[in-house]
Formats: sequence, structure tokens, C-alpha cells
Amino acid sequence: MLALTLANLKMMARNYHTTFWALFFPLLLVVVFGLFDVGGGPGPSSLVVIDQDNTPRSRLFIQKLGEVESLELQEQGVELLVARQQVGRGELDYLLVISQGFGDSPAGAAAPALALTYDAGETQRSQLVEGLVRDLAAQTAAGAGPLAASPLVAEGLAVEAPSYFDIVLLGLVGLGTMTHSIISIAVRITAYRNQSIYKRLLVTPLPVWKYFVAEISAHLVLAVVQASIILGLGILAFGAHLPGNLLATMAVVALGSLVFLNIGFIISAWSNTPAAASGMGNAVALPMVFFGGAFFSTASLPWVLPQLVQVLPLTPMLEAARQVAVHGVPLWQTWPQLAVLGGWVAATALVAVKVFRFS
Amino acid sequence: MDEAVRVEGLVKRFGSFTAVDGVSFAVKAGEIFGILGPNGAGKTTTLEVIEGLQKPTQGQVTVLGMDILKQPQRIKARIGVQLQSSSYFDYLSLRELLTLMGRFFGKRVQPDGLLEQVGLLEKAKSQVKHLSGGQKQRFTVAASLVNDPELLILDEPTIGLDPQSRRHLWELIRQVHQRGVTVMLTTHYMDEAQTLCQRLAIMDRGRLVAVDTPQNLIGRLKATYSVKLVLPQPLTPAQLASLNGGPGSPGVQTLENNTYILRLDSSPGALDKVLDTIVRGNISLEHLEVTPVTLEDVFLELTGQELRD
Repeated sequence: MLALTLANLKMMARNYHTTFWALFFPLLLVVVFGLFDVGGGPGPSSLVVIDQDNTPRSRLFIQKLGEVESLELQEQGVELLVARQQVGRGELDYLLVISQGFGDSPAGAAAPALALTYDAGETQRSQLVEGLVRDLAAQTAAGAGPLAASPLVAEGLAVEAPSYFDIVLLGLVGLGTMTHSIISIAVRITAYRNQSIYKRLLVTPLPVWKYFVAEISAHLVLAVVQASIILGLGILAFGAHLPGNLLATMAVVALGSLVFLNIGFIISAWSNTPAAASGMGNAVALPMVFFGGAFFSTASLPWVLPQLVQVLPLTPMLEAARQVAVHGVPLWQTWPQLAVLGGWVAATALVAVKVFRFS
Repeated sequence: MDEAVRVEGLVKRFGSFTAVDGVSFAVKAGEIFGILGPNGAGKTTTLEVIEGLQKPTQGQVTVLGMDILKQPQRIKARIGVQLQSSSYFDYLSLRELLTLMGRFFGKRVQPDGLLEQVGLLEKAKSQVKHLSGGQKQRFTVAASLVNDPELLILDEPTIGLDPQSRRHLWELIRQVHQRGVTVMLTTHYMDEAQTLCQRLAIMDRGRLVAVDTPQNLIGRLKATYSVKLVLPQPLTPAQLASLNGGPGSPGVQTLENNTYILRLDSSPGALDKVLDTIVRGNISLEHLEVTPVTLEDVFLELTGQELRD
């Protein structure tokens, strides 16, 4: 079995043309995301409002804030200190405190009644939000006086939040692992079957399970090597900040790869040519790239999709990998995601064993 | 053990199609046994059942004294198989492939020794895709020998090879046989069956037609020569009657495309009389061929059809 695993790795290494192109696309995206400031898209900014005034004007003001599409008003009732900490950790984009007296102060009053706290690194976007808050405050002023600068104090906090690149880098690891695992195994098995290589194996006393273990082991090694190269490029060339345990991250990658390899085995049972296997692999992988949270948060998906995509294998894999690598969460704390992945491993393995064919 | 393989009442069906229909024969230990027949005769299916690649629909097959259904893995460990369309892993050299194949049998082989046996030592670092057709076939034989088998099964080993490559491979098979290995092969080449095999089973349309030595099979014809006539138009009943039943002639066999076969014994004047009948009967000829009888004639006699390549 070890001999076959090593032979598989040797074959993959010598087939450098295929291996290179499998790695090329994720690496190209690392360079694109690393070189150019490709943001996470114009998703809504999260905002917590602490209303210490609690007057009709302050409530009207909050209502108007809630109507702004680019702001996502979070649940009220959060304590001031907790909310400030959330901004400091990058978990919350904006904190707005409406002080007592806001309802009484006319537009243009000198006493500051509003305090906006945000990430000091997000200057451009924060200026837009600050302007928006001032405008809405002025619009809710008693009387229909002229619009004037609202009494607002803005404070930028130094936030140690992961950058979009840190987040997307793990997405690219998931993308590379998934596409290579699914397509590589599906194409390889279909080609072997067409070339009667399996017939050749079946006339030897080699137990079939040993062949599968060797094939999967070699692909898992390759998945980890590929993930290491992608992360290495992101960290060394583009300064990605991943404070978490990278070995644990690789364990998540390997578990995810196992699911995708099983899917590759299933696809191979239904494909008659390597080209068909490649096409079917892409058809399965590409929707997951877009809906699985590789490039943007699944929370920004419309309708019931945010809940639905949670059951796709890529979503829990990326969530667990990001929790571990980006946020430094211990591997065991990601057990809900790992459990979902484990379920996928079991389910896909059962189907693969059921549908796999040697000829 | 006297028998390397015993096949009894073998039937193999694929859906409604019967590929092998009640075949029985035995391969003696230490012989070169051939299965001769045209494409679609059921030769490969019979071999695949023996190799454990197919399960029989009916019948019993024992290999090296073991039942193929009860001890398939033990049988596989002791036989060498060369498949009709053999492919190997890409990107591995011949040396690496043989080493890996040996590991499938739990053996550490000396790949260079095997490559030397088949005359491919200088190609040890090459990949299969860079070999010629003949070299590829020789490599497949080497690959089937990695486990030092007691029984070597070769499915159409010389198919598609040029005459020189075929002779090289025959020589290689004889060398393996001389080491005490039982060889079982399929072929649809008459000369290969006649030259290489000590005993032959003739198959046609899934059935076994005859089993014997090539000499005995030819001897059954009781003829020495075969006269093949190709005419521009069919013989009239009168012409056919004049050729049929003549002295020394076992009868005229009618084939497609106005082709007729007469088999003659070695009695004096037998051929002269046939030629005289042709001239006197005003039978015009496109082609006339006189050859010693071969397995082709045996096949024609037994099945009523030619064995085409």
C-alpha cells in the first residue's frame, strides 16, 4: 500500500503539467487579491446603536438608520463596553451612542449628543457613514430648520481585525483543495478505467481497499502541499496575517479534501470519458465556490441561501479553517463544522462504495 | 497435480447474450494450451472467468486445484495474466512498474532480470508509451511474470504485431514454458496455434468445437491437400456434381463469394482428376490455390466458415 501511495505521488509529481495548472489558478487569485485591493464587496456595514436618550426623536433617528440599505442594524441592548470591544476586534463595524439630550437639542447645537466609533483603518467608508449619520440626525431635528452639522463625535479605534485578504486566502485554499480533489480523482479514475488499468489490478491479489487507501493518501498529501504553497505565498509575498495553528488548519484541509475526493469517486462512476469527468467535476465545484463562502460572506446571500449553503461541504470547511487560522480558535472548538464535514465524509463514502465501478 | 485448469460446463451470459455456452476442457500441467477461434467466439470471456475477472453463470472452474469462486485471491497469487489490452500507470519507468507490480503480489522482484529475459533491459528507464508495439507486448509478458507464476495466461499475445515481433514473442513464450510454466493462450492466428500450442481447443460462437493436438486435428480431415477455387459465377448443379464425390475427394465445401474448397488425399492422380474435371466441365476460374491442409481447413470443416483475422 505504501509502495502504491509513493508510486502515485511519483506519478503526480512527474505529471507536473497537470499538477502545475491545478495549482496555477488558486495561486493566480492569491496574486490578484494580494496585489490589488479587492474588497469584500459592498456588503452592508454592521451597526449597533445605544440609545441613552430614548426620546421620540432618537427613536425616529434609529428608525431612519434602519432604513439605510448599506447599514445593518444589529440587535439593540448591547452594553457599551461590550460593543466597543466588538469594534476593537473587528466583529462590529460601527457603534453609535445617542446621549441624553439628543431629543432636545436642535440641529446645529454645539453640545455633542452622538458618538460614532469605528475601525480607524476604514477611513474612506467611515467618512461616508459619518456623513450619513449627520444628515439623518439633522433630518430628525425638531422643526424643519436648515440642515446643519449635527453634534457628533467620531472616534476611530485601532482594530486588529483580519483583513479581507486573510479571509479570502483561506477561501482560495478551499477552492484549490476542492477543485483539485474532485476533478483530479474523477479524471484519473475514468482514464484508468478506460485504459483497462483496473482490469490489470484486478488480476493481482492486491485487495481493492488497499488501492483506494493508497489513492486517497496520495491525494491528501498533495492537497496539504497545495494548501501550504497557497498559504506560503499569501503570508510571505503578501503579508497575510494568520496567527492560528496552521497544522490544525491543514487537518481541516485534509478532512475537506476527503469529502471532495469521495465526490470525485462518485462522479467517476457516472462519467465515461476523462473530459466528461472534468466537466462534471467543474459543474459540482463551481457553484460551491460561489455559494460556499470562498470569496464573500455567505450572510450576504439572498433569500434562504445563507442557511442552505451551511449544508454544503465547502462552507463548514472554510468556516473551520478560518476560525482556526485567522481567529486562532483551537481546532476542537470548531467541532460543529467538523461534525458536518464528518457527516459528509461518511455519506459520500457510502455512496462512492455503492456506485463505484471498475469497468 | 496433472491439471492446471479444469473447466466444466462453463456458461457465461451477459443479459440475454450467451458469450460462453457449456464449454468443458482441461489444461494439463506443463503444456502450452491454445484456444483458437474468431473474434466473438468466447475465448476472452473464458479466460476472464479463469482469471477471476468474471463470475461464471453456470459451471465449475478450478485453477491449480482451487475453485475460482472459493479461492480467487490464492489463485491470483499463483497465476500470471497478460490481458488483451494491457495498459499501465503513466509516468513510471518499466523498472518502476515491474517493482510496483511485484509489490501487488507481496514480492520484491528483480526488475532488471525480468527485463533482460524479454530483451528490454536497455529500456528500463523508459515509459511504456515510448515502446514499440512488439516491445510493449514483451513488456506485458514480463509484467505477467513478476510473481513467478505456475500458470501463465496470455490473451491474444501477438495481436497486431509484425511477423518478426510475433516470432520473437513465440520464442519468449517457449523459453517461459521450458522453465516448467504451464501456458494458456488465445489466438485467432492459425500459424501461431499450429506452431506454438501442444494442444488446442477450437471455439466458435461460444461453443467448444474440438480439443486435440494440432496434428490430430489436421489428421481428422483425412486429406493432404486443399484446393481452393474462386469462380466468377456459382457452379451449376451439374458442375458441382462432377467435382463432388470424385476419387480421393471428401466432397466440395461451398463458401461465400463463389468460393469452393476441395480436400484431396495423397493418392496418385487425385489433383490431376480435379483439374481434368474443371477443364472438361468448362469451369472458368478466377483463382486456384493448392495448399497442404492446415488448421484453417480444420476450422472450415468443423464450423463451415473461414477463420478471418
